[in-house]
Amino acid sequence: MSLKRTAVVGSVLLLWAGGAAAQAVDASAAEALAKKSGCLGCHSVTQKKIGPAFKEVAARYKGKADAEQKLHTHLTTNPKVKVGGAEEEHDSLKTKNQADIRNVVRWILSR
Amino acid sequence: MTIKAWESLRNRCATCARTTLVGGTVVVALLVGGLLMAAGAAGLAGTNTEKFCIGCHEMRENVYAEFKGTIHDTNRSGVRAICSDCHVPREPVPMLIRKMQATFELWGHFVTGVIDTKEKFEAHRYELAKRVWTRMKETDSLECRNCHHADAMSSELQSERARSRHAKGKAEGMTCIDCHFGIAHKEPEGGPGPQELKVGNR
Repeated sequence: MSLKRTAVVGSVLLLWAGGAAAQAVDASAAEALAKKSGCLGCHSVTQKKIGPAFKEVAARYKGKADAEQKLHTHLTTNPKVKVGGAEEEHDSLKTKNQADIRNVVRWILSR
Repeated sequence: MTIKAWESLRNRCATCARTTLVGGTVVVALLVGGLLMAAGAAGLAGTNTEKFCIGCHEMRENVYAEFKGTIHDTNRSGVRAICSDCHVPREPVPMLIRKMQATFELWGHFVTGVIDTKEKFEAHRYELAKRVWTRMKETDSLECRNCHHADAMSSELQSERARSRHAKGKAEGMTCIDCHFGIAHKEPEGGPGPQELKVGNR
């Protein structure tokens, strides 16, 4: 391979790896924050509880470009949700740290 | 008592009246029987202690490690549950049946090593959870109700959300485990949860 080609391929790989690392989810931190925020009282990761399982949420948002944005809004603005026929406010994540919120959002979307 | 035994007793105590011999035998039999029962009860009680349960590394390193730090282990009031509080029935007959089933756990521990590594345990996690969930659904979460009495739940002290959830659950014929799972131990990944398991009429 020529030097130029090597440089191009190398840069692409580096960018991809960097991007992947930036997208990497800290699962244990996400779980801990979810637990602390009381999410697991209504949501299981894979089983049916009160709200949809995170696996189901991930399936619903799969392939959608605005998935992260929508979920971020959902977890920070206490929107109204329907639970058993009645409406109630959805809780928010118990943190103001944007990186931590993003981490949880990505964790949910990757279940 | 066989005829031979009776005759040998007679020979050893030729001067004793028959009544004394019979009475003595009965008393001894009662004492021995009583001691055996006490020993059996103590043994059974011993198998219900936390120390006994976590004697096996399969329990200590997996489910017990997960249990540590959860609300059933440590909380504001210090009221806690141990393994047998949730996994062993208190009623005598169901308890004895459970203890007999538990001998298969000895087989698994000493002979087959079915869950003796982390990987094997994780592979069986769903199956193990499903057994407990099924049992709880069959018995209307009997062990939960050893401590948590629905009638004694103060609606004033519960949050609005808890009150409405419990009212809805009751109306729909749900049982505790339908929502309150994955509390003491990690949830298994995948597989139908308690609400999706069809057990009896639940």
